[in-house]
Amino acid sequence: MKTVLKMGVSAAFCLGTLANPAFAQDADNIVKIGVVAAESGSFVSAGHTLPAGVGLAVKQINDAGGIKVGGKVYKLEMVKRDDRTDIATAIAATQELVRDVKVQAIFGSETHDFTLAMAKITQPAKIVHFAGNSTLAKILTPDTVKAGGEDHYLFQSEPQEFQRSGSTARGVLTLLEPLLGYKPKKSVMIVGNDATGQFLSSYYFKALKAEGQDVPDIIFYPPDTTDFSPFLTRAKSLNPDIIHFWYNGDSTLTALPQALELGAAKSYFLFGVDPGIWKEKALSADVPVAMSCVPVCWGESSNPKAKAYFDAYFAAGAPHGVTSSVSLLYHDYVHFLAEAWEKAGSFDPDKTVEALLSIHHQGVVSDDLTFNPTHQVTHATEVCAAAPGGDISCSMQQPPADAPKS
Amino acid sequence: MRAVDIFIQQILNGLSIASVITLIAVGVTLIFGLTGIINFAHGEFLMIGGIVTWLAVSAGLSFPLAAVLAILAVGLMGYGLERGIFRFTLERPTNGFIVSLGLIVVLQHVVVLFWNPNQKSIPRPLTTVWEVGGVRIASVRVMVILITIAVVALSFRMITASRYGRALRASVEDRDTAALMGIPVRRYITGVFVLGSALAGLGGALLIALFPITPFTGGTMVMKGFAVALIGGLGNIYGAVAAGLILGIVEGFSAGYGFSQWTDAYSFVLMILVLLFRPHGLFGGTSGPRMAS
Repeated sequence: MKTVLKMGVSAAFCLGTLANPAFAQDADNIVKIGVVAAESGSFVSAGHTLPAGVGLAVKQINDAGGIKVGGKVYKLEMVKRDDRTDIATAIAATQELVRDVKVQAIFGSETHDFTLAMAKITQPAKIVHFAGNSTLAKILTPDTVKAGGEDHYLFQSEPQEFQRSGSTARGVLTLLEPLLGYKPKKSVMIVGNDATGQFLSSYYFKALKAEGQDVPDIIFYPPDTTDFSPFLTRAKSLNPDIIHFWYNGDSTLTALPQALELGAAKSYFLFGVDPGIWKEKALSADVPVAMSCVPVCWGESSNPKAKAYFDAYFAAGAPHGVTSSVSLLYHDYVHFLAEAWEKAGSFDPDKTVEALLSIHHQGVVSDDLTFNPTHQVTHATEVCAAAPGGDISCSMQQPPADAPKS
Repeated sequence: MRAVDIFIQQILNGLSIASVITLIAVGVTLIFGLTGIINFAHGEFLMIGGIVTWLAVSAGLSFPLAAVLAILAVGLMGYGLERGIFRFTLERPTNGFIVSLGLIVVLQHVVVLFWNPNQKSIPRPLTTVWEVGGVRIASVRVMVILITIAVVALSFRMITASRYGRALRASVEDRDTAALMGIPVRRYITGVFVLGSALAGLGGALLIALFPITPFTGGTMVMKGFAVALIGGLGNIYGAVAAGLILGIVEGFSAGYGFSQWTDAYSFVLMILVLLFRPHGLFGGTSGPRMAS
């Protein structure tokens, strides 16, 4: 009898709660944004920065009272899914977030070819989709992003690759020259052989050539390589001034000590390795080593806003990672999107896109973040160099205006 | 740098690649070839060995002591998993295989949960680099090669010449008859599993002495370990050493002189060819796991 009574009371309580207008309003006033990222698998060091960056932005917005859209105040809720560095999982997660969870926007994935596949789901569903990878340039064209175009709701929160490669190459050569004591002339690239590595390196090769470098070889290594000695020996046989480890940060940190042991080059460049990791791991080298961040460094930034951001980022529990700065390719755009929703006065995807294209957003990466007509941003990249004694200097490198002639 | 120096350097590179692969392959060949347990989580055992070494060195222990701890910890883990899980799959190796796939995810995520997914590394236990002519030889790599030679020789001796090894090989030939002759087959299977696990623990310690590791390091290593074990012949330690050496040199030279991006593919193409034309491996071995006794 007691059990029946308890069940009756519970059922009445549940029904009462659901019928309560305040409860219903709370549920209505939540805006869900999805994150698909590699929280496990080989791309995890960049992947786990996405939910950390988006989560921090969501907390900042909610702590400030939420967003006001059409006279109502809304709180944001992040719904994240681990793609396990597996494209099928990323696609399934996107489908779930779009169809079942019914998110208003999606962030990710950071893995380039995954995003292309995810866009096939988000775009027909009119979901505003941000991804910080430059491969999107393959599909973001005036035709595809126009109203009614197949990628109208897709945004690239990372500069075009010729811009990032151009500013990086110029920064690396500029910072290494005084440390070497002469102008470097010969470069060899060592690159991870996956879709991202192939795409990025093709631009960086052109950027180096545009800076007058002789690049006799691009040495591709299989993803997940740990023993780089044969690749480095091959590079050493070419007697380079600089070996450029272009992608990805974890592999680069594995390769560098082996390169130093072999004496493979007179200097090195490590793409996507933060000087914070360099210092934290007490790394050292007997030759100059340049590093670049995507887009701003947490360890030794010349950007004044970055310190406050990374203090909050790490205080929220994110680990000090080799590419923690990748979080900025997402964090800033949650705020950007919130501003767009407020400006549009609606969550309507078409009005949101219109607002996104008209806003000059003050972010951490830049005081003037804007999307160009093909939904891509432009901002500087930070490049640093460690002298053999250990001193590190950094500078923000502005991107070139035009792509180099191939 | 002269061409001959590059050539010698690439041979030395190949030897160090071969030593790590061989150590994994010996564990795989013992467990897979002699007990029939297909443990695809063997790479994660290796990773756990590396993590234990990292924890111990971070706590201030010396590398040799940390390596011993890794061997003991992974050996103990192997004992627990064999007694708690794999022994119940002995009659159905396919079940054991599926269990090992599940273990991969579980072990990876346990490590991620407690120690985050980022790379872990330790200071190199030996930092000297010798330069002979134009060739650079890192003392830590020489250490890894020498330890591998010693451990493999000891395992080889144990399997081929000891009373335990003879009994084990008899069990592989015919479990029922071996049991009738008084050989405690189940206990021997546990022993082999623990030995293979302990070797993975040592492999992990040696690996983190050379390179940083992540919770996901095991995957590639175990694939190569299985490839070498199959090329050499299951259960054949000599075969695993020879195949590891062949693969190491092939990988080193392909990266150094050929299409570097295909380096991994050579191992598996070689494995496929060997399995097609010499199903028992280049040097002969057991017939692998028996589906049911």
